[in-house]
Amino acid sequence: MSARSTTEDHGPRRIEAGAPPERYARGWHCLGLASGFKDGKPHGIEAFGTELVAFQAAGTGELHVLNAYCPHMGGNLAHGTVKGDALACPFHDWRWAGNGKCAGIPYAHRVPPRARTRAWTTLEENGQLFVWYDPQGTPPPEGVTIPRIEGAFSDEWSDWTWNSIRIDGSHCREIVDNVVDMAHFFYVHNSFPTYFKNVFEGHVASQYMESDPREDMTAADTLSAQGRLRSEASYHGPSYMIDHLWTEVGGATAETVLINCHYPVSPDAFVLQYGALVKKLPGMTDEAAAQAAAQAAEGLATGFEEDVEIWLSKTRIDNPLLCDQDGPVYQLRRWYEQFYVDVEDVRPEMTDRFEFEIDTERAVRVWRDEVDANLARRAQSAQR
Amino acid sequence: MSMRPVECGACGNEVLVEKRSLPHTTVQWTRPTDRCPELAGRDSALTAVCTGLRSSIERAVREGTLEVGTDAEPADGE
Repeated sequence: MSARSTTEDHGPRRIEAGAPPERYARGWHCLGLASGFKDGKPHGIEAFGTELVAFQAAGTGELHVLNAYCPHMGGNLAHGTVKGDALACPFHDWRWAGNGKCAGIPYAHRVPPRARTRAWTTLEENGQLFVWYDPQGTPPPEGVTIPRIEGAFSDEWSDWTWNSIRIDGSHCREIVDNVVDMAHFFYVHNSFPTYFKNVFEGHVASQYMESDPREDMTAADTLSAQGRLRSEASYHGPSYMIDHLWTEVGGATAETVLINCHYPVSPDAFVLQYGALVKKLPGMTDEAAAQAAAQAAEGLATGFEEDVEIWLSKTRIDNPLLCDQDGPVYQLRRWYEQFYVDVEDVRPEMTDRFEFEIDTERAVRVWRDEVDANLARRAQSAQR
Repeated sequence: MSMRPVECGACGNEVLVEKRSLPHTTVQWTRPTDRCPELAGRDSALTAVCTGLRSSIERAVREGTLEVGTDAEPADGE
């Protein structure tokens, strides 16, 4: 795992691309803003190698997620109709309740006693809809949940912005790897990290980062466009990251919460979703707050587009060659593996607390020189 | 460089620590944090550091019981 040079020549490093896992991560997965599913229509979702359907029961108002294909003759319930608290299949009008039970077959004398489809365990939190995935069929253990974000329920904060993009040809490990990847923030996202630490423990993986905007890049290009940024970002389980950000803007501190989450579509495709909440500064109108959130979302969109561009042309790599100033990629992947093995095979080293604080001294010095050189070059060409 | 045991002066728990340089620190816990007075509780990855443990690591460095790597800046500059 160490990448220090030796005097012996071992020949060129061979990349082990490996194959993406066949199974999907155990845990809560955010499907999107809950409000998006509350329009009285069923919504088809391609996820976990299958098709799901989300709908709101008209009577109870609850959101439910079922397997999309009707166990009767395979009709797609996402093309069906919400009738009362049940979802009706477009093929033969079989009715399916949110708990998976067949709630009626209008043309039949009786419902077959074991008529049941799969109902997925759902959770509505922070204005978002989640499903629990576990290939072993075990319900979520106590304590494995999605933390409440106070700003999502407060008038002092904006509403969520929300975006969704499908990434084909990559496993979602690519986005999770970013948790430890300090240097890519400089080279890919035009931000300038000065402090970087990771902590993994239990089902949570955190990244503590301080960064400045890169002065040699135009403001629109940077994640931390406005000023010095402090970020505390944590994955709660395999796919849902809450990122609390504090930015210095003209003497005040702007508070932002970003969500970076995904769900797998197939072993090499996933849907990446992200959104932002902005705390209103004193005297800020709802409109201005919405605008600030939209701006944060735009910066976020740019950031993810930059990541996607890298993913589209990179290879999967199981044996990254690291230097001392890289973050703990292997330990992050050891943590991430807990979601891809059966519960009884989760080993203590996957969940034991692990902390890694990068020595950023050299990186900061080299990057400062690079930024200064770019600024000098720009000043020079402006004079011509 | 390799991981060395360091005992926390606050609670007596032993962790494995590596310092590749003064600013760098790796800490590997080998048992749950539920008896750590600063970290015990749910979702303790949301706490960046146990200050008691950090003081103990700093003391181990001062007293020379924890070696600090010097290979962060090789003599030839690269």
